[in-house]
Amino acid sequence: MAEAVIRHWVETPVRYQELFAVQELEAHKLDHSLYALPGPSMAALSNRRCITESMSGAGKSGQEEENTRFQVLLDVVQFRPEDIIIQTFEGWLLIKAQHGPRMDEHGFVSRSFTRQYKLPHGVENKDLSALFCHDGILVVEMKKAPGKN
Amino acid sequence: MAARTVPHAYPMSSEYEFANPSKIYDQNFGEGVSPCEILAPALYHGYYIRPRINKQLDRGTSEISLNEHKFQVFLDVCHFLPDELTVRTVDNLLEVMGQHPQKADRHGFISREFTRTYILPLDVDPLLVRATLSHDGILSIVAPRTGKEVKARVNEVKITQQEQPVAKEEQSEEGKGKEES
Repeated sequence: MAEAVIRHWVETPVRYQELFAVQELEAHKLDHSLYALPGPSMAALSNRRCITESMSGAGKSGQEEENTRFQVLLDVVQFRPEDIIIQTFEGWLLIKAQHGPRMDEHGFVSRSFTRQYKLPHGVENKDLSALFCHDGILVVEMKKAPGKN
Repeated sequence: MAARTVPHAYPMSSEYEFANPSKIYDQNFGEGVSPCEILAPALYHGYYIRPRINKQLDRGTSEISLNEHKFQVFLDVCHFLPDELTVRTVDNLLEVMGQHPQKADRHGFISREFTRTYILPLDVDPLLVRATLSHDGILSIVAPRTGKEVKARVNEVKITQQEQPVAKEEQSEEGKGKEES
């Protein structure tokens, strides 16, 4: 395996360098949680070592079909965290976002959308976690039941 | 993009130019992202941003072009069909509304709704607004400007002066007397 190179300190922020030293860089090339700055999921980083390996063949966008998790990424840069409601309903994951009239550079704008994802079998509703990244990407993760699939 | 409640108000400064750009980006909403589209974070104007691989920079824009003869707005409404859009004027406000029912895209199912309000310049007649939707989903709204300077109607308001009430001084003197005793 070719050795991964830290090319520039901007792309590999200082606060991650300890993690990089311990872990294999190649395994984390596509690990989204690395890019979630400065999100709360740093603790969970260590037990996500081999998750991304099954990602390489995943053609389906947005939803990683992994061994342990079901993940959805959504661009909600125009919304605030309090505008967003995440629900699960009979095997569907609903993400609703709505904001009232707000001033922007061209006047006033109000938006709302509802996005639905079909949950794969074995996904437990209980373990839902959502992370609103500072650059407006919403990450919703659900754990799959270990025994199934 | 942070919503602003107080407008940047001074029209002759460069701050005004930058705070009121003629074109704003990233107005499409509710779009799914796949993890392989996100690149490593880069420092941009002091913030870490994560560039996307297939971000379409020319989509999702709203552009106002304003010259002496016409007022024109280009708005990207590529998620909406022509019959899901409404354009109307309310006084000097130009409202564009779009609503589409649930439909499938490459990430799942989505329904969207938006209302965008532009403010027409004072010399635009709201009845002359025309809207055209291009084949690639850009809504173009044009209205001619008369170019006449709208005269500000100035009305000097006369200030009536109130006389100082006479009884008040006596009362205060009485009060002082009570405090002393």
